[in-house]
Amino acid sequence: MKPFPELRPAPWDLAVVAAVLTLALFCGVMVWGGAATGLTAIVTADGEEIDRFPLSAPAGERTYSAGGYTLTADVSPDGIQITASDCPTQDCIRTGRISRSGQSIVCLPARFILRLEGKTEINSSGVDAVIG
Amino acid sequence: MKLTTKELTVCALLTAMALGLSYLENLFPLSLAVPVPGVKLGLANIVAVFALYALGAGQAFLILFARCLLGSVFAGNMSAFIFSLFGGVSAMAVMTLLSHLRGLSVYGVSAGGAAAHNCGQIAAAMLTLGSTAPLYYLPVLLGVSLLTGGLTGLVCACLFRGLASTNFMKG
Repeated sequence: MKPFPELRPAPWDLAVVAAVLTLALFCGVMVWGGAATGLTAIVTADGEEIDRFPLSAPAGERTYSAGGYTLTADVSPDGIQITASDCPTQDCIRTGRISRSGQSIVCLPARFILRLEGKTEINSSGVDAVIG
Repeated sequence: MKLTTKELTVCALLTAMALGLSYLENLFPLSLAVPVPGVKLGLANIVAVFALYALGAGQAFLILFARCLLGSVFAGNMSAFIFSLFGGVSAMAVMTLLSHLRGLSVYGVSAGGAAAHNCGQIAAAMLTLGSTAPLYYLPVLLGVSLLTGGLTGLVCACLFRGLASTNFMKG
């Protein structure tokens, strides 16, 4: 028969706790950290979906016309950015690159929304910034 | 492995207790508080920790196999067998290892086992689903496992204190 185990919490128990927490943190960063894999970009204009493609699609530029304006999006596996737009305020360009699920670029004058969706729903409100 | 009649009887009793505890914990649905699939108290782990210390790793593994097999037969669901076996074997392997380390109490061993159990179940889920999606639950499950593992450790510590005045542990 084995001897009794130590029945009072011992200092080294904290090492186990720390190890488990580290693993949890590591996993959390891995799966929730906004890796751009498995994301889908959804483009809507005036409430209607005009384009939908996986972020892993071949990188390049895509041009959209909405509300009388023309927007150019630069697509790469690590995110999407509006690089050119003839809208009055150019805020969609200043939004910069979006790369995480739930992030979006919105252009009000063009009634244009570019949204990233995926399994890692971080911000399900869909709107991070209203610009235009 | 040779078992004496007494050891066999204790193993059978502990298997029955583990099955009873797995059923009993359905009455305390922890998943209501933490709505993540796989969250549970892990009461059967009390038996695992106890068997590991009182009977040794070999018999603890025997009880584990019997519990997983009978549990899935009673549940009428053989896919549950893979889940409970993956979780149980990971937990037992980690606890066997940790129990040999000096300076660790029954709390640390039990918490490590609970965490390993969740890792094993997520691995089983990833294998059955063929996707890494279950991995999203792991951080939450690991956090909860520290609490449930600590609780299991507390119960075991009380159990061993109670048994100290009997001659059960001396065989």
